[in-house]
Amino acid sequence: MLKNICVTQINLLKSVSNMQQQVRTTFVLKRKYEPLLHKTNEKPRKMRAKHFIYELVEDTSVKKQPNLEVVLKQFVQGVGDKGDVVSLRPNFVYNKLLLPGLAAYKTPENIAKYAKTEAEKNTLEHSSPYAQRTVNVLESITLAVIMNKDERWVLEPWHIRASLRKAGIYCNEECISMPSQRIEGPDLKKENKEFYCTITVNNLEKARLKCRIHHWSTDPSERLPYVLEHWKMPAEPLLGLEDGATANETAELTPKST
Amino acid sequence: MMSLMSTMRALTVRQHNGAVSRSLHLTAIMEAARKGTREKARKKKVKVEVKKVGFIPHNQRDKKINVQRADKHVDDSWKQIPKDNVYVGRYYRWPVYTVVEAIKCHRETHHPSMYNVTNAPLNVEIELNMQGEKATRFVDNFQRMAMIPHKFDHGEDRKIIVFTKGNDEIAEAREAGASLVGGVELIKDITNGELLLTDYQYIIAHPNILAELVALRGLMKRKFPNPKSETLGVNLAEMINKFSSGISYSAIKDEYQQNFGLIKTSVGPLSMNDQQLEENLRYLLKNVDSMRPRREGRFITRVLLKSPPSSEQLKIDPFLYVPELYDKGAEKVKTEAARDSSRDEDTTEKVVATSAN
Repeated sequence: MLKNICVTQINLLKSVSNMQQQVRTTFVLKRKYEPLLHKTNEKPRKMRAKHFIYELVEDTSVKKQPNLEVVLKQFVQGVGDKGDVVSLRPNFVYNKLLLPGLAAYKTPENIAKYAKTEAEKNTLEHSSPYAQRTVNVLESITLAVIMNKDERWVLEPWHIRASLRKAGIYCNEECISMPSQRIEGPDLKKENKEFYCTITVNNLEKARLKCRIHHWSTDPSERLPYVLEHWKMPAEPLLGLEDGATANETAELTPKST
Repeated sequence: MMSLMSTMRALTVRQHNGAVSRSLHLTAIMEAARKGTREKARKKKVKVEVKKVGFIPHNQRDKKINVQRADKHVDDSWKQIPKDNVYVGRYYRWPVYTVVEAIKCHRETHHPSMYNVTNAPLNVEIELNMQGEKATRFVDNFQRMAMIPHKFDHGEDRKIIVFTKGNDEIAEAREAGASLVGGVELIKDITNGELLLTDYQYIIAHPNILAELVALRGLMKRKFPNPKSETLGVNLAEMINKFSSGISYSAIKDEYQQNFGLIKTSVGPLSMNDQQLEENLRYLLKNVDSMRPRREGRFITRVLLKSPPSSEQLKIDPFLYVPELYDKGAEKVKTEAARDSSRDEDTTEKVVATSAN
């Protein structure tokens, strides 16, 4: 019995959770016709029908609610890592974080409870909330690497970086690891053939980027005919077996990061 | 009873003097007239004929109606700033490059191993907020010439005619590279019709010939030299230099969005060095900024660097070269400074006075 009381006392001492919420059925009104003032020490005047006409000042049920702060219990893609305190729209928080049990309300206890331990800090699984999305995009696209048809070239990481930038993806040269075999040109046998590069996001997540070489000539009459939606068509591999090996390697790496 | 009715019909209101009397008519004695007015009203009513319009193909319909157009002033400030070292651009704010970085990026894509166009022009797109001093007023389209420190081949045919008296000025103008230089005899030629003014894009004049030049005002119209457009002045060589080598640009308002203006021009080929291109851009932006209306807020809203054949457009920060907001205090500061100096003088005078006492 005493034990139970103690427990309840401890519970009472807990900081107030955000669960208590005002029921939003309040309407703020204003009288359209103000009743006249009455004399001191006299009864108020009798109210007439028009004094009960109101105008709406505010409907609290349609008011924009402030953001809600929660502590994440685990890594959530696009939101944050375990122990992060995030402030988001209440509907998103209720439906996508609190109901599935991915987060708890922000209280000092919850922050302490879900904070990352030293061991967890050392084994970094996700570099950032959006890194996985970047990996997904990189793995879904077919990058067109436009190289010259007349001048000699050797494919280098900065060619891939420039091609990625043209496709609206920004990265450093250090993130790009090229296939081990040298790719030289111009060589029309390599036209529209596939090879894979590995892009490393934040030195952690690895994405396998499908690239295709296209030859481009400065002189319009020398240019190859345009193939409509060429990225949707199947293409042959450029580098044969070796590239396949690197592909397997990266394929092994990617499930770890997800 | 009947007699009573008859008296009612023509009830007369007698006045005290009895001389003037008015009758009150209760029956419709003006029936014929009213019939006419009704007829008139009926005729006035225009029959609304509903014209049947057949099917109009969508591409031939009037484009000005019922089209929701997106605001051309793009604001991506609500988007996140990227934190990863690899990111997909469409989820984040546009990266802002320095001019040198942007040029470097364009040189990458134009490298011999890729596009192999190392001397492609570096184009600039300057987006303007054309709103004038009032919300309903807009800055007019303008065409100007920006003087640049580093010349390049702009590929335009610019012919300059210079009017001046005096041998020194004529020699100076010839040296500076004017297509045609002359004095009173040139004006005569033009009035006689032996020379066409339309062959020359730019007309420059020295003030010493202005009196004779007035005869050509009707022919020149808006091209008539004036100091505001810097076509009338003493320093002929500088003006000719400006018009022959400067960047000519025009700000054009959007057809559907009056407050959106766009300038498309080039500041030089990519084969020029970074500093030269940057200097040219700085002079161009300063020249554009001189058209700023007297209102709060930005005039230049966004500057993009492009270079064909690449479709890349790289955003740069123009406010490193021109002030971002309207500097209302510029003149005030001047007057205040003048006032301060006068006040200082007053105090010194006082000090002198006290010391004298």
